[in-house]
Amino acid sequence: MGTPLRWLARRLLLALMVVFGAANAVFFAFRLLPGDPVRSVLGSTNPTPELVEQVRHELAFDQPLAVQYGRFMGRLFTGDLGDSYQLQQPVGEVISSQLWPTVQLAAASFVLALLTAMTVAVLTANRPRARRVSSTLELVAASTPAFWIGMLLLALLSFRLKWFPAMGGSGAAGLVLPAITLAAGMAGVFTQVLREEMERALEQPFVLTARARGSGETAIRLRHALRHGLIPLVTLAGWAVGALFGGAVVVESVFSRQGLGQVTAGAVAGRDLPVVTGVVLVSAVAFALINLAVDVLYRLIDPRIDERSIG
Amino acid sequence: MRYPTGVRRAVALALALGCVATGCGSGAAGGGRDGRITYAVDSQPDCMDPQISPYDITAALSRNVFDSLVTMDARGQIGPWLATSWTISGDGRTYTFRLREGVRFHDGTPFTATAVKATLDHTVAPETKSQYAAGLISMYESATVVDDHTVKVRLSRPYTPLLQVLSTATFGIQSPAALRTNRGKTCLHPVGSGPFVFAGWARNRRIDLDRNPDYAWAPKGAGHRGPAHVAGLTVEFIPESASRFGALSSGQIDIAAAVPPSHISRLRQADGFRFLRAPQPGAPYTLLLNPYRAPLDDRRVRQALQHAVRLDDLVKALYSGQYDRAWSVLTPATAAYDAKAEGSWPYDAETAARLLDSAGWTGRDEAGYRTKDGKRLTLHWPYMNGLMRDQRALVGQGIQAEAKRAGIEIRFTALEPGAYLEKAIGRDADILAFSWNRAEPDIMRSYFASDQTAKQGGSNAFGVKNAQLDGWLHEASATRDRERRDALYAKAQALVNSEALALPVYAPATLLGAAERVRGVTFDVQAYPRFYDARLEE
Repeated sequence: MGTPLRWLARRLLLALMVVFGAANAVFFAFRLLPGDPVRSVLGSTNPTPELVEQVRHELAFDQPLAVQYGRFMGRLFTGDLGDSYQLQQPVGEVISSQLWPTVQLAAASFVLALLTAMTVAVLTANRPRARRVSSTLELVAASTPAFWIGMLLLALLSFRLKWFPAMGGSGAAGLVLPAITLAAGMAGVFTQVLREEMERALEQPFVLTARARGSGETAIRLRHALRHGLIPLVTLAGWAVGALFGGAVVVESVFSRQGLGQVTAGAVAGRDLPVVTGVVLVSAVAFALINLAVDVLYRLIDPRIDERSIG
Repeated sequence: MRYPTGVRRAVALALALGCVATGCGSGAAGGGRDGRITYAVDSQPDCMDPQISPYDITAALSRNVFDSLVTMDARGQIGPWLATSWTISGDGRTYTFRLREGVRFHDGTPFTATAVKATLDHTVAPETKSQYAAGLISMYESATVVDDHTVKVRLSRPYTPLLQVLSTATFGIQSPAALRTNRGKTCLHPVGSGPFVFAGWARNRRIDLDRNPDYAWAPKGAGHRGPAHVAGLTVEFIPESASRFGALSSGQIDIAAAVPPSHISRLRQADGFRFLRAPQPGAPYTLLLNPYRAPLDDRRVRQALQHAVRLDDLVKALYSGQYDRAWSVLTPATAAYDAKAEGSWPYDAETAARLLDSAGWTGRDEAGYRTKDGKRLTLHWPYMNGLMRDQRALVGQGIQAEAKRAGIEIRFTALEPGAYLEKAIGRDADILAFSWNRAEPDIMRSYFASDQTAKQGGSNAFGVKNAQLDGWLHEASATRDRERRDALYAKAQALVNSEALALPVYAPATLLGAAERVRGVTFDVQAYPRFYDARLEE
């Protein structure tokens, strides 16, 4: 039993290093940007020289880089993300108040994309005509910008038919259009991967055996091929986290939704370093945890992976 | 035929879910909003403390939450509000205000002289980190509470625009008790005495303002007395203009701010909608020209640029006639605007060509640009996207194309905020452009007085140092003789044009789209909407 535990410990350590690396990246990236960070923080409204110097001192930008770095990391390790420059609110508060709507949106979109992909792939695998139509649509879905899809949905379903609200989005009604928008591209990618893998599975000898046993086509597709096809999707889950979070920035502003995406967009535009750092750390943690979960899942789905894996 | 219960239950559930999802088709349109107005704006305030935040949106919303000491009417006349009367000492440095009695803040505390002192002290305190307000009262020395309803404000130098400054939403009077208990958190807890009470802020989504039931101190000029007509104001943040407009036209909101000028004609043709417009005072969107760096250090080149651009056509094409083409560095809605500027520097390609010839830019390179000693006539115009509302990037491209016809190359470059500010503060540019909403011609001093450079917190981007301008603008800010003031500002406006220190482009206006049933929305002198008199008609 020692090996799986050691494996897990090592993976956790790696995950921690990913988060630490992300913190470093954001610290140095911010300092590499051109211009005076204090001026950027204060915006373009001609602050008085006294105010500029006062803020420079408060944010320790008048200290040597090493001191700034030490201060930054020291606070990070105590879990203190500092206060947002723009919002005058602790970063922890800003993020925790906006995390839930984004998690809701991401989860709903992921489930929607997965269900769509499973349905379409099961229906179209190894069926040339349906496949051709569907794969064109998938390509369109995967390559249409979320912004555009969102505007089309709004124009038709909100402005014209008035089925869904155009803004806000608390409750189920407000979640529908944003979730569809965010899911569309992902569903396209998922379907392509899933069908490819299912078609490969349908040519395997075990499928022939199943057919020989007299299993029906539906049973074969659902029980054997689909289950096989889902394995690469597990790998894609890591990518999906990034895609969902990146997409949330666009979708949340098109639909005027609360969430981390809007916070991120505002913080990057206003160079709100504490908030940007907080968001980067939260997404790094999410990324690391999902990837860890994916690895664990692999070992459960297919125990052979254990032996050849890096763990 | 009877369906099995399972199926019936499923159908009922589906219908119920459908209703949740669609509001059964009724939720979106009209009614059922409990007499509240839903107002969609394009940006969210960073902070709701008007003395901290420099942004228009904060001032615009604050106008409904806070009252000011005095009020300014459309003709620029100052009238009483929270102050019933005032006297100004002979040296112009002491203002004594008599304050209104019976006014209460939203937290229930009474309004007294302490509140005026606390608000002004709060503005200039270093820990407030005021980004705009403190700069407006840099001459503020101290305030003294004489008795409960008398306060003396002392200045370090005479400053005639003080009353205008104090009339703005930026100087809304805050509850001293709230300032004390919310220290460091005033951004999230604005407590004033205005017709609407700040009732909550769902970040990135909306701000709720509720009617103040005790309100009885509206300034003269308001449409009624007593509390506001509507139960409240729901301010939704919808940054996408297409979404905002769609939400208005489908009845999901009552008023939309920042309607794109190109959508106005559609709004006018549609049934059930109205369009409200208020021209903004202050400095129009203006290109400041760098007179201390070649090639614009030659006045003839600056003048050539004035005559080379068909601004009338450009502004009309881009803004569908909703914004006026500007002729002066003050907009027509500003007191002391000099209408004589109109037509004084018309489009004239021949004059532009002659001026460039005489300045020595006689050669032409293969791209068609003018050259002198083998060097191309090139102007650098950096900008940052954050400042480019109203399709200003298109304005820039239009001017660029016009200049090209005259043989002038304009490099119109988008920069990151940091890089932009570095260039702007370092004066590493030939053109910098922005606008400034302020109902006071003193804005010209910020643009052209030599002690108002960007480093000093002013808007004199290129550090123009002109003894005449300095003299006129300083005298105008100190004199109380209205005619003298107007004459000084007229001279200053004429000089800026004749020296071609700037190229004013268009005078912005506040454009609101409203459902027909919304009545009585008014504008203050800064063209910020006021909802005190607003009502909903059924």
